[in-house]
Amino acid sequence: MAAEATGAIQGTAMEISVSKFELLRELTATQGVVERKTTIPILSNFLFEAGNDRLTITATDLDLSLRTSCAAKVKREGACTIPARKLYDYVRLLPDGEISIKLLENHWVNLRCGRSNTKMVGMARANFPGLPTFPSAGVVKIPAQTLRSMIGRTIFAISSEESRYTLNGGLMVLKPESITMVATDGHRLAHIEKQGEQFEVSGENKTLVPKKAMSEIYSLLQNSEVDAIEFAKDDSTLFFRIGERLLTSRQLTGQFPNYEAVLPRETTKSVVVHGADLNTSIQRVAQFADERSRAIRMKLDKNELKISSSSTDAGESEDSIETAYTADPMTIGFNSEYLLDFLKASNGGEVRLEFKDAQSAGQMRPDDANDDGFKYRYVVMPMRI
Amino acid sequence: MPFSDFHGNAETVHTLREMLVRKHFPHALILSGPQGSGKFTLSQMVAKAMNCLERPLSDGLPDFCGHCANCIRIAEADDLEGRFAEAVEARENLRETDKRETRLYVQTHPDVMVIPPDPPQMLVKVDQVRHVIHQIYYKPAEGGERIYIFSDADFMKEAANSLLKILEEPPEFATIFLLTDNPTALLPTIRSRCMHLRLVPIPTAEVEQYLAAVCPEWKPRARALVGRVCGGGLGRARGFDLAGYLAARQDALTLLGPAMGIQDHSALFRVTDTYRSGADGKAKTEQLLRTLYALLEDLLFLRSGTAELVRNQDIQPELARMASEVDFAWIAAAGQRLGEVESGMRRNLLRSLALDTLATALEPVTPK
Repeated sequence: MAAEATGAIQGTAMEISVSKFELLRELTATQGVVERKTTIPILSNFLFEAGNDRLTITATDLDLSLRTSCAAKVKREGACTIPARKLYDYVRLLPDGEISIKLLENHWVNLRCGRSNTKMVGMARANFPGLPTFPSAGVVKIPAQTLRSMIGRTIFAISSEESRYTLNGGLMVLKPESITMVATDGHRLAHIEKQGEQFEVSGENKTLVPKKAMSEIYSLLQNSEVDAIEFAKDDSTLFFRIGERLLTSRQLTGQFPNYEAVLPRETTKSVVVHGADLNTSIQRVAQFADERSRAIRMKLDKNELKISSSSTDAGESEDSIETAYTADPMTIGFNSEYLLDFLKASNGGEVRLEFKDAQSAGQMRPDDANDDGFKYRYVVMPMRI
Repeated sequence: MPFSDFHGNAETVHTLREMLVRKHFPHALILSGPQGSGKFTLSQMVAKAMNCLERPLSDGLPDFCGHCANCIRIAEADDLEGRFAEAVEARENLRETDKRETRLYVQTHPDVMVIPPDPPQMLVKVDQVRHVIHQIYYKPAEGGERIYIFSDADFMKEAANSLLKILEEPPEFATIFLLTDNPTALLPTIRSRCMHLRLVPIPTAEVEQYLAAVCPEWKPRARALVGRVCGGGLGRARGFDLAGYLAARQDALTLLGPAMGIQDHSALFRVTDTYRSGADGKAKTEQLLRTLYALLEDLLFLRSGTAELVRNQDIQPELARMASEVDFAWIAAAGQRLGEVESGMRRNLLRSLALDTLATALEPVTPK
């Protein structure tokens, strides 16, 4: 009761003015977190808190939450909640200029901008879920662009099968001098490592980052100019501070599988092809692959890589790429989607394919000695065809 | 309101609290009992006790304070009907395309989720269970335990099957409650994976006492009748729809009419015609079938010479007259027929026709 009473007093007091450009920028950043299809009414609201010449905006879906802020002229400090979707759609349509936001009685919020005047109804501030606080100790700085490219090159391999919950996130491993990110769905595995960085961790710091958090960090970094993000965790929550924005995510439970055991060690056959050529060849051939398995056949022959597929309804197709391959011929089958995912995520240069035999996992990696210091590898289980 | 506020079933409450103190709480618990017997209230109490910040003790067993931040937020869902109505309204306000994919949940505390049956079918749907599966592996945000309460464990077939997965290997910090008035309707594979506790009906005299305390404005006769026909659930007794019950009973008596030698079926058809398809008709039909069972039971009591057990005491003379017309074999056969209709309802038989069939099948009564 006490909390609600203070909330109401603070609430009636709130009055601010903020530039439309800045408000819209922050609202846009939160769109990935606000749950559109929720039947828990408070979750479709933003929490607005005004104080110290700043407006802090919070959105949460209870698993993931984002707190962001922008400069504002605070006439009276306070807090309120505003329907997220309506506010975003409305602010987008406003002309550039100052928007004044004022909380009225019974959680009504008044927005004025130029000659536009709108009222919408929020909910009690006390109903908004509490948010975890950023820990003071154990904060690690991670270079922003490094993290972004590592997420971009692993996130597609994360499983979306609910039943394999330990695979519903990517594993981030921090060591004093390196950072590694691994994602797998049990059929393929993306692994990227960067050496020569400095991290303030002792030993090995392993964290399972949920997929939704990863994609949120990725898009926040895309629109951000910060050099480094601050990462921390406590028993239940992960924290990522990106400039003025703080993303928190609940942790997933469970052990990520021992992925090191599946990384192939003895590959005897290897061939280098141009990534873009391979990509278009596979796309063409995959048109004639079986609809469900998406299986294609790769045949390594002298100076040639043949890619073929056949299905009973669509017909059959074959592409051939010239290579410098000289070892023993072999044939191996793969799911074409998996190969295309990798080729899309890697930057289109030369790609090295490595195999042992038709029953063992194949490995793909960019054949680029200087890939900004990244060591990127992708392991795909073969298909029997 | 601590555990001592829970009326009746002291033994079950004690068992639950002992499991809490011994940290041996099962990961999944079926809590069964008649409608309104406090299944939801009790599971909310356990949720509070698990997450209470103050963790007080009473009688040496864990209790909850009712005023810490966690207790207050969990308690917001105590009024489940209100929260449910809000959720339904929130869904109504979504865009058409989103509406179809959106399922209902009540979650006033991040770690306590109530999964109500989804309207209009009022069954738990597979998307709801999938959402739980997706959620359950996230660690608890604030409290110590994550709690999932299926407030009416009436599952669609696929939903029940997908629930098996988390019943099989739940994370250690999660507890699942399945609340049901008919545990045998659950899949045997679900039942075998859960612990089962029962809330037994509360004796009639106690219900009447309770009603006298909370509903003093009711007439004593109404209290006496409700006390007998509410099935031993205090919550149900408190909000008992007496008019609805009497209407259902009138219909039930009409249904038994042909068996009592009434040749004109037009009254019967007028009645059965009002039992339509859809969710409304479902509730109405269920009430009718329950009332019919109760009437048959009363006939049985009368025939056995235990008239003091009769529930519908206000119409005892009429019941006595009916009881003199039938024998045990007829009552047993009628009970069986009724069971057939009930299982037919689950297969979506046309309600009015099924009831007509029931009434006419009861006809060949052997006059005494």
